[in-house]
Amino acid sequence: MKKLIFCFGLLISAINAYAIEDKYHFDSVEREQTFKELTHELRCPKCQNQNIADSDAVVAKDLRDKVLTLVHEGKSKDEVIDYMIDRYGYFVHYQPPVTPLTILLWVLPGLIVALGFGFIVVRQRKSAQVQPWTDADETKLAALIAKYEQREQQ
Amino acid sequence: MNKKVLGLVPLAIFILLSVFLYQGLFGNPREIQTGRLGHTMPAFSLPDLMDEQTTWTDKDLQGDVYLLNVWGTWCPTCLAELGYLTELKDKGVKIVGLYYDQAYDPDFGDKFDVVALREEVNNMLGRAGNPYAFNILDLNRSLALDLGVSGAPETFLVDKAGKILVHHTGDMNTRVWRTKFAPAIQELTL
Repeated sequence: MKKLIFCFGLLISAINAYAIEDKYHFDSVEREQTFKELTHELRCPKCQNQNIADSDAVVAKDLRDKVLTLVHEGKSKDEVIDYMIDRYGYFVHYQPPVTPLTILLWVLPGLIVALGFGFIVVRQRKSAQVQPWTDADETKLAALIAKYEQREQQ
Repeated sequence: MNKKVLGLVPLAIFILLSVFLYQGLFGNPREIQTGRLGHTMPAFSLPDLMDEQTTWTDKDLQGDVYLLNVWGTWCPTCLAELGYLTELKDKGVKIVGLYYDQAYDPDFGDKFDVVALREEVNNMLGRAGNPYAFNILDLNRSLALDLGVSGAPETFLVDKAGKILVHHTGDMNTRVWRTKFAPAIQELTL
């Protein structure tokens, strides 16, 4: 029974989702596509981590409507995104802009991997070096063996 | 010696990272950057909440330093900050209300009842204090969208030329006033 209710709930929410999509009419497939992309790329400023297509917040609805109006006016994707960033800051777009601060985010992981790799290579080289065996080493070894044997006998 | 120093590098990185992440624990995720800071008030022409014959535009607001407080009767935090805002008003701060109607949605066949709303507003302001010089009714939330408002309450500090100096999300209280608004106002008078 519980499962049935759950399935029913899912069905209703699915219908609801369709109803929202159906509310909008577009003169061209291209504009519809732009609208869909934009509502999935723009972030709801109220709910922190939902796009405006997903969110039920009032502001998300307002932003959806605004995106719709702007798309109907023939604005391009970038123009709509700029319009929103003008008002809500970079937060509103999921793709962060390239600024000195965000460059760090891109570069740092690569740098760390490169450093780690370099470290491994250097270590490997060091341990792979062939060390010559000299007479001095031979006498040292003999002395050590002798010492060890002496201790064994005691 | 050199090797010993080198061995401490991972520890140093770890400590730095810990400090960074620890600070993150106490950050306020609501404190987001807004696009309107430093810009002038967007142009608008909206009716007064109490009297539809009166229309307010961005020109009417120029020439004064004021707070623009976004609020609604549906919002409990707005009710909570009314007392403090009234205190500010009594100290001589000009506060303009931007009434943010959350419920109104013509797509769902909502009818807007301005008489009922006025009664509600009068009720709430009568109980909790009325800090507002006047209230602008932004029924379609168009000015709110232009200001980058994401909900209520939010408060803006605007200077005489109409430049937005502070955009605060959340309630207004002594601490917020002291740390965010007072320094900005001080800078203005200097």
